[in-house]
Amino acid sequence: MKYFMFIAEDPNADPYVPEEDDIVGWVHEMVERDIDREGDRLQPADRARTVRIRNDELIVTEGPFTESREVIAGYGVIECADLDEAIEVTSRHPMARFGRIELRPFWPFEG
Amino acid sequence: MEYILFVATDPEAEPYDETKDNVGEWVADLQSRGIYRHGDRLRPPEDATLVRTRGGELLVTDGPFTESKEWIAGYDVIECVDMDEAVEIASRHPMARFGRIEVRAAWPIEELAS
Repeated sequence: MKYFMFIAEDPNADPYVPEEDDIVGWVHEMVERDIDREGDRLQPADRARTVRIRNDELIVTEGPFTESREVIAGYGVIECADLDEAIEVTSRHPMARFGRIELRPFWPFEG
Repeated sequence: MEYILFVATDPEAEPYDETKDNVGEWVADLQSRGIYRHGDRLRPPEDATLVRTRGGELLVTDGPFTESKEWIAGYDVIECVDMDEAVEIASRHPMARFGRIEVRAAWPIEELAS
């Protein structure tokens, strides 16, 4: 089963400790286990653009789509046997500790 | 550079009209131009699982990472020269009309860049 990981900041998480952020080790392990499919860090949310068409007019605003304190810092796509394995994999991602990670199953379009 | 489009709902957008949803054509056009990387629709936030570790303990709860009226319904990753091109492409996605699209530039981690 494929899961999308929303890797988000969290003001209530542990303070970030760069030496304890082993994202490189995590990615290497998940590639080896054939779980890691895609993923990347994102540039800060204040560089985001939100795009809307209203009454056929293009409206482009700066910043993310929602004014949340938990902004998205990165994403991942993992392929797991089931939700339990996805939780195990996600729990060892450094941002589970320094932020929060939402798992969402894919819902492929037909055809 | 890769840009990630977070395709979100918007309660203030015009009502969804299936006959104007040409997302298949949108993807096909980008594929033919060699700039489409990957993307998909996602299950709704009711099916989300939130994973955190706090003080060394694993916390697993149901629901999305943020309590917002708007939620992300899908994503696309495209290869563009700059933010202006990414915004132009996002503006032609049908969900720019029926929702809203957040455009974010990737920021690859150096040690992982292949």
